[in-house]
Amino acid sequence: MSGGGRSLGERPWQSGTGSSQAVTYAVLAAAALVWIAPIVVMVAASLRPEGRVLPEAGTLRGLVPTDPTLENYADVFQRVAFTRMFWNTLVINASIVVGGLAINATAAYALARLEWPGRRWSLALVLALLIVPFEAIAVPLFYAVTTLGWRDGYLVQILPFVANALSIFIFYTFFLDFPRAVEDAARIDGAGPWRTFIEIVVPSSRTVFATVAILTFVLHWGLYLWPLLVTSRVDARPLPLGIATFRALPPVQWGDVMAFAVMMVAPVAIVFAVLQRWFARSVAAAGIKG
Amino acid sequence: MAAGLGLALAAASCDTPPDATSRAPIDVEVWYHAGQPGERAVLEAQAARFNGAQDSIRISLAFLPEGSYNAQVQASAVAGQLPDLLDLDGPYVATYAWQGHLRPLHGLLPENVLADVLPSVRNQGSWNDTLYALGTFDSGLALYADAERLASVDARIPQGPEDAWTVSELDDVLGRLRARDADGAVLDLKLNYEGEWFTYAFQPTLRSAGGGLLDTSDDTPAASGALDGDGSRRAATALQRWLTGGFVDPNLDDAAFTSGRVALSWSGHWDFPRYREALAERLLVLPLPDFGQGTRTGQGSWTWTIPRTSGHPREAASFLRFLLEPEQVLEMAAANGAVPATRTAAMRSETYRPGAPMHVLLRQLEDGWAVPRPRTPAYPFASSIFQDAFDALRNGEPVGPLLRDAARTIDGEIRDNHGFRRP
Amino acid sequence: MNAFAPSPAPRPDPDPGPGPAEKVAPCPGRSARSRRRISFTGLSMAAPALAGLGLFVAAPFLLAVGLSFTDLRLGSPLPVSWVGFEQYMRVLSSTTFRHAFLNNLYFTAVVVPLQTGLALAAALLLDRGLRGTAAARVALLLPIVFPMALIAVVWELLYAPGPDGPLNALLGALTFGAWVPRDFLRDPALAMPAIIGLSIWQGMGFQMVILSAGLQAIPRQLHDAAALDGASALHRFRHVTLPGLRRPLILVAVITAILSFRLFDQIRILTRGGPQERTTTVMYEAVTAAFDRQQVALSAAMSVVFFLVVLFISLTGRRR
Repeated sequence: MSGGGRSLGERPWQSGTGSSQAVTYAVLAAAALVWIAPIVVMVAASLRPEGRVLPEAGTLRGLVPTDPTLENYADVFQRVAFTRMFWNTLVINASIVVGGLAINATAAYALARLEWPGRRWSLALVLALLIVPFEAIAVPLFYAVTTLGWRDGYLVQILPFVANALSIFIFYTFFLDFPRAVEDAARIDGAGPWRTFIEIVVPSSRTVFATVAILTFVLHWGLYLWPLLVTSRVDARPLPLGIATFRALPPVQWGDVMAFAVMMVAPVAIVFAVLQRWFARSVAAAGIKG
Repeated sequence: MAAGLGLALAAASCDTPPDATSRAPIDVEVWYHAGQPGERAVLEAQAARFNGAQDSIRISLAFLPEGSYNAQVQASAVAGQLPDLLDLDGPYVATYAWQGHLRPLHGLLPENVLADVLPSVRNQGSWNDTLYALGTFDSGLALYADAERLASVDARIPQGPEDAWTVSELDDVLGRLRARDADGAVLDLKLNYEGEWFTYAFQPTLRSAGGGLLDTSDDTPAASGALDGDGSRRAATALQRWLTGGFVDPNLDDAAFTSGRVALSWSGHWDFPRYREALAERLLVLPLPDFGQGTRTGQGSWTWTIPRTSGHPREAASFLRFLLEPEQVLEMAAANGAVPATRTAAMRSETYRPGAPMHVLLRQLEDGWAVPRPRTPAYPFASSIFQDAFDALRNGEPVGPLLRDAARTIDGEIRDNHGFRRP
Repeated sequence: MNAFAPSPAPRPDPDPGPGPAEKVAPCPGRSARSRRRISFTGLSMAAPALAGLGLFVAAPFLLAVGLSFTDLRLGSPLPVSWVGFEQYMRVLSSTTFRHAFLNNLYFTAVVVPLQTGLALAAALLLDRGLRGTAAARVALLLPIVFPMALIAVVWELLYAPGPDGPLNALLGALTFGAWVPRDFLRDPALAMPAIIGLSIWQGMGFQMVILSAGLQAIPRQLHDAAALDGASALHRFRHVTLPGLRRPLILVAVITAILSFRLFDQIRILTRGGPQERTTTVMYEAVTAAFDRQQVALSAAMSVVFFLVVLFISLTGRRR
């Protein structure tokens, strides 16, 4: 421990000798490379002529697109209804996020701030349902919706996910800490709970809304099991099913599959890279995934 | 919800008197498995031709992804949302018929059309003596061989299903081939395939030995007495001898035969074009070995059914009739390499007509050498258990106990379903 | 439930116990009539979400419990009857289910320590705040936005059999050709490790973020005091950092353990439980029973068992 020039305000492991910095850099760089390699292989393969994807994927050339071509991308549109599935994914997830923000925030506010019959029981219910994973109810829910003839639409893919115990819980803890004085002022002005919530509370809670929105999107846009169970027709299916079925058509055209993968994830990955601090904050705030 | 809206609109339009509007074509919804791209393109072209040739029926095709196809269709059936014409894999027909989802085809197709269909196809599509399904093509198995390598070990060349190799002859051939082989693996059993292949390809060996997967002679199907009987045990023992004795190539690259690593490939009709290209005149198409009661081969493929819920069975049947016309059958067979399902078409097929290289497969289907997978609602479950048993066979587990366990599991399922008796 | 509580560093420990009740003070000076109006307003505000949770979470769960005591099959024309604990007996006596359960345990036993360890190491390195490490952070985080269906197919290419397969080629190069190419996803010994590899690749960033937040929440004074006392870096890690990270570490371990019992997507897409049941899981068995074999009642019993396991893990994590 060289006391050196380290000031007390720094993180204890922040400075240190130059060699330990170099080690940090080296380890981080190596880890980042290993982590990014599958993504690089995916992008490079998507740009390579079909016949050379597998033979070159295992060589160093697998990491760079040689003789780049967009033919795989054109093939994707030829072989599957990419646009349709993209649209489906967008509609389904936008509905889950927007609908979820609306009803979960409202319910959380009522739980945190208002007194009403059954409030304590409702709170207990929300907390209890936090630990029921979707997988545990997928099969009975599948049985119920199937028996009711409810298949192959958007709503059956949206409604089960709109009300969400985790979202309610995050909103709830936030609203508990919301400064009461602001609401009291509104109430003295004669505003009812709805108006207070919509005009005073919501505008001051952008952070938590953004957090929950991001989290909801990340947790739902890759859903595979549920759409597999409740959709048969391609025109109702989202992208994650598209990629799996696309790959099931023999023979496996690796270039096409990778082009599909890139087109699917690129918009989200770009938004993510821009907003990564926000992503990180929402994941940390939630402390749970799935 | 779009579907709900569509239904509502359709209902609304039905309310208007028929003479008020010009007669709109009847929409016939058709579901097909999105398998090979070639098949799909042909069916799309056929639907377009059919739609173009008349204006009273309009075919609309939907392709459901293979892989979970049966699960999707089963769920749709429970939801009451089956289409007008539905494509099913042959061995699943009995299940859907038992569940009451299918409409008998008799009366919907003219007798002369039915009479032209290969007996194997009608056989596979029947349950309880009622015809529920008709395919436009059928399948078959062969033991593909490299003529030069067989000649080098002086192997006898069978000329047809009647004089297929016996198991001991095949043992002998394998032994002699192995003596001249680099890695000793001289036989390809398509171990790289998955799932249903193993039942399709090896269930006939049990029949050839006098056993079987399920005994369906009684009202209640039973695996005990069939799958764990002497015949099945003999067949399984021979298979295990080859599998664990190092005779079989794992074939991870699916190129064991085309690259010359093995001299014999136990495979289906679909490999013929590829094998022909690789071996040219050296390619021999032989019947599978005889395990005691004559050679037996697999059969059955995707097949058309008309769900009971269809409001337009006659229109659906007329499209099916169109698909069974010789030109259409031949076009589809050309795309997927399968055996044309009607005699008229088969006689015109370059691949299967008398004298053509694959004629032996047609003969097997016509003359009763082919055995359908057991036509009972118990089949899908029995097949999945058989696949596990085949895995155990590969791992060298003792044949007797593993067949007995498999039979017991299957019979338990049959008991749970009250013997699959007709409702 | 505390195991699931968020660990947002800037926020005081949310205590969902008796706290909230006290926080909602009745409004002074309001008439009984208007208070009642407010009371029904509260109910109406909460109603949509509560109805959703009831309909799509609570009711299906109760349905699962109910179905598990019947012999219901999807689409069967046979009448349904009550069979008591029969389905549970079958689940518990099935060798396939036992394999599935053991595979889940194997997956958990490897993934929880390995992934948590990697995430801790990454979080510590990133926490040094060196310039330029933001890019590494993005790289390590990126996989969490990748849907598992997509990850599975990308890794299927990486795992491709034969000498051309990228991982085979890499191992071949690293061992100067001594590595014999394997078919990772069809090799009984390698299939589960292959699934574990891609799962860790996706999940690590998520834990890293939680641990990073936990690191930032450790008061600096503790480190400074320890440093002034002349404690070594290792000593401070053991006596300051690790105790400070106790809650987030337990949190990520518990969540990862639960997630590992939910293993399904990559199995369905890549191995379908094979080879030789080496990668089948409880969820995979439950879904294939209901969806592929129409055994809804058996599957419901598996779902209930699955839930009890998750409950057990959560309670274990909570007690700590």
